[in-house]
Amino acid sequence: MAAPRQTALERQYSLLGLMLIAPTVLVFCAVIVYPLVSAIYLSLFSVFTPTLQGGWVGLENYRSLLGSGEFWVSLRNNLVWTAGTLALQVLFGVGMALVLHQNLWFRSLARSLILFPYFVSTVVAVLVWKWVFNDLYGILNHVMMAAGIIDWPVDYLGTMPNAMISIILVGAWKYFPFVVIAVLARLQTIPEPLYEAARIDGAGPVARFFDITLPQLREVLVVIVLLRAIWDFKEFDLIYLMTGGGPVIATQTLPLLVYKEAFALNRMGMAAAYAVVMMAIMLVFMVLYIRRTRERRP
Amino acid sequence: MTAIRRVLFNLFAWTVVLAVAFPLFWMIVTSVKPQSELFRRPPTFLPETVTFEHYWTLLTRTGFLDYFRNSVILSVATTLTVVAIATLGAYSLVRFRYRGRESLAFLVLFTYLLPSVVLIIPLYLMLVTLGVSNTIFSLVIAYTTFALPYALWLLRSFMAGIPEDLESAALVDGASRMGAFRDIILPQLLPGIISTALFTFILSWNEYLYALVLVNSDAARPLTTGVMSMLISAFNIEWSLLMAASVMMSVPLIVAFAFLQSYLTSGFGAGGVKG
Amino acid sequence: MADVEFRKVRKAWGAVVAVDDLDLAIEAGEFVSLLGPSGCGKTTTLRMLAGLDFPSAGEILIGGRRVNDLPPAQRDIAMVFQSYALYPHMTVAENIAYPLKKRGVPRGERGPRVAKVAEMLQLGPLLDRRPRQLSGGQQQRVALGRALVRDPRVFLLDEPLSNLDAKLRGHMRAELVELHRRLGRTMVYVTHDQLEAMTMSDRIAILEGGRLQQFAPPQAVYAAPANRFVAGFIGTPSMNLIDGELAAGPAGPEFRAPGLALAVGPLAAGTQPGPACLGLRPEHLSFGTGPLAGTVQLVEETGHEAIIAVTLGEGGPRLVGRSPAGLALRVGGQVRLALNGPAAHLFAPGPTGRRLNAPSPSGAVAAAAAGDQP
Repeated sequence: MAAPRQTALERQYSLLGLMLIAPTVLVFCAVIVYPLVSAIYLSLFSVFTPTLQGGWVGLENYRSLLGSGEFWVSLRNNLVWTAGTLALQVLFGVGMALVLHQNLWFRSLARSLILFPYFVSTVVAVLVWKWVFNDLYGILNHVMMAAGIIDWPVDYLGTMPNAMISIILVGAWKYFPFVVIAVLARLQTIPEPLYEAARIDGAGPVARFFDITLPQLREVLVVIVLLRAIWDFKEFDLIYLMTGGGPVIATQTLPLLVYKEAFALNRMGMAAAYAVVMMAIMLVFMVLYIRRTRERRP
Repeated sequence: MTAIRRVLFNLFAWTVVLAVAFPLFWMIVTSVKPQSELFRRPPTFLPETVTFEHYWTLLTRTGFLDYFRNSVILSVATTLTVVAIATLGAYSLVRFRYRGRESLAFLVLFTYLLPSVVLIIPLYLMLVTLGVSNTIFSLVIAYTTFALPYALWLLRSFMAGIPEDLESAALVDGASRMGAFRDIILPQLLPGIISTALFTFILSWNEYLYALVLVNSDAARPLTTGVMSMLISAFNIEWSLLMAASVMMSVPLIVAFAFLQSYLTSGFGAGGVKG
Repeated sequence: MADVEFRKVRKAWGAVVAVDDLDLAIEAGEFVSLLGPSGCGKTTTLRMLAGLDFPSAGEILIGGRRVNDLPPAQRDIAMVFQSYALYPHMTVAENIAYPLKKRGVPRGERGPRVAKVAEMLQLGPLLDRRPRQLSGGQQQRVALGRALVRDPRVFLLDEPLSNLDAKLRGHMRAELVELHRRLGRTMVYVTHDQLEAMTMSDRIAILEGGRLQQFAPPQAVYAAPANRFVAGFIGTPSMNLIDGELAAGPAGPEFRAPGLALAVGPLAAGTQPGPACLGLRPEHLSFGTGPLAGTVQLVEETGHEAIIAVTLGEGGPRLVGRSPAGLALRVGGQVRLALNGPAAHLFAPGPTGRRLNAPSPSGAVAAAAAGDQP
């Protein structure tokens, strides 16, 4: 907040500060704020993508959207995908972090290997997994059959519920390293005397985990869950490339629906309406996350 | 821990680590197997014969090199633009006071979380209207929408970690604000800038959705959509070729990893979790 | 003419007032401490003087020039920070040379001046090191060197010794005093440590709650505290402060509290009978004989003396006194004691209640003597 009366020096500094932020503000307005506002505006029109011609329809898009079964199916898929992959990411991520926190042989190599899925392009991850999942020559089917778990090759991506399970697993594989690194960083700041005190008080490894580690991780876990929930909810690349939303629309989430409406069905206004609704749903998580990060700053 | 428990723990841990890394191992193995060995049953875990023919095919008979060049230009351009703007912006957000600063920081965080699909429709319309669609330039503009909030958020956190006293001392010692920025803050921020640049580069390198929507000519197509188009256009899928492409596409990441892992880890903490 | 002057300076952060209505004039060549508990506004005051914070109202002058609108670079000041604020990416030599570089001193001239400062502070062998390779004490010297290299008009020091261990702190105190004597420059020194303020300063400005409580030489601050806050803040163990009643006695005004009645000397004009507070330094209690009886609560032997806490009568006030070592006292036992009435201070009620009586003769003399000095 600006003071009611500023010294000339203070005004000069404020001006410099504004000049430094000006490029950011300009770019933000041009490529984020303006498109965001026009997305909301666009959702009140019916626009045919190839010609970009269309007319005002008011809230008609929203009415038909809420009445369409496809929206509700996509929303349900979206929630199933988010909840499933998020749960696996957190469970596996925390477990892996605990393992990597121990004194492991070649620990930094192990850490690099764990980190790699997160940084590799989704396109690469999908190609590799599609090859692993390949029904005829995929290594997964071969291993499963050799182990006697299945008798017949499984179609991992073309049938339900396999397709949903597969994308959830690949999502977990791709994004759990984020949880690992975040938790690992927090683990390293837990003071060792806490554990020593607990050991003196007779706490075993399990008790130490639940009484010390978990409470210490609580705060960072809340932030991780919120952040990953937001990012998983809006995931497009991985699902689109793995299943394209199929079979039929069984793994179609809201981002895929928006894309389909806009660029396959050529209904831009409708797509914008879907996007706006999707953003409104995400707003809940966003507000929670933003409040969380603000609280922690003095 | 006794020796035996230690060994068991390590065996267990490394089994899990290797299982996680297996798809990446499989990618490399597949890329150097000859076509004949690829469809052998049972499959060979280590290639009997190592061949680089797929890499050769990739480089000489597909558009891979063009895509690669496009991706490099695109990612470098995005990174330079975004990091330059964001460094100044972060300095302003952290170290200056003016009306609207708090709301701006809020907006940055909000856009950092914003889904791409919300922006993509109006952006598409905008770039078509401007007549720049189907160019690398249009992708640089589009990538700014997610890279700039991200870089700002990261750099803001790094900037806040530089003690304010250092800048104050420089001012008292005779520097102007921008002088202190150049002499003191910039050198202190350098690790943060490197880390942010790396992340921005990786984000741009891996981006798929905008590239899919905004570019449909090989002249401007980056690697992500380029390689996927190879999958779709091929009559029968040449997995070895795709795996070779995947390996090649990951090379810059492997390089970044080998030399700059500490920067990656620090950026991680700054961006997401420390808030 | 005052070298540094604050005129009606006020600083508010939103609704929080950090410094209020500050008037302060510091003479050229004076060593002035800004002393107070944390949050009293002393650092804000210094930062406003440096141009790092900006006053909400009022004027700040350096050498008669209004500096409100001047950036720090043009104020002709140097500052030592509590955190030292050494530039981590520069060597010691580069750190010290930075102010010269920023003021356009030619490269050739910088070397000798850095060398001179380094010699003065015994930093010679460290010039090529980086700050993180130095000990706390060495870093402190570099920070000092960076301030000294350029002969500024005013030196600002923000708790420069607070990160050093006790022994080094004592040593650096003496060195800073010596440095001040040699340079003869105005120095403004922020501290929360009264020992530093008392031993080093020509005058001490005591701040509390953003307001100046007293601005006087150390002896005067000790002997004639201007109000109850200063009385309680200065001195270890701190002054005994007893709440009671000011009333008319048979032989002039008298202070009364449970178990205690003490004649008090000449009062300030306009003082009315009513609630008041009596202040008595521990050295103005004597044990062994006297008109009063107390119960010993605590005896702390420090070697050359003993700090003794007693309560007067039944449920009476608790007093702390010092006594030469060797007095055989038992906790819980009875002791006779006497109060040095003429040395007592009298304050109006409230945490910063003003002084009501004239300072005792000995205190007054000290104050007068110190007052001539600057």
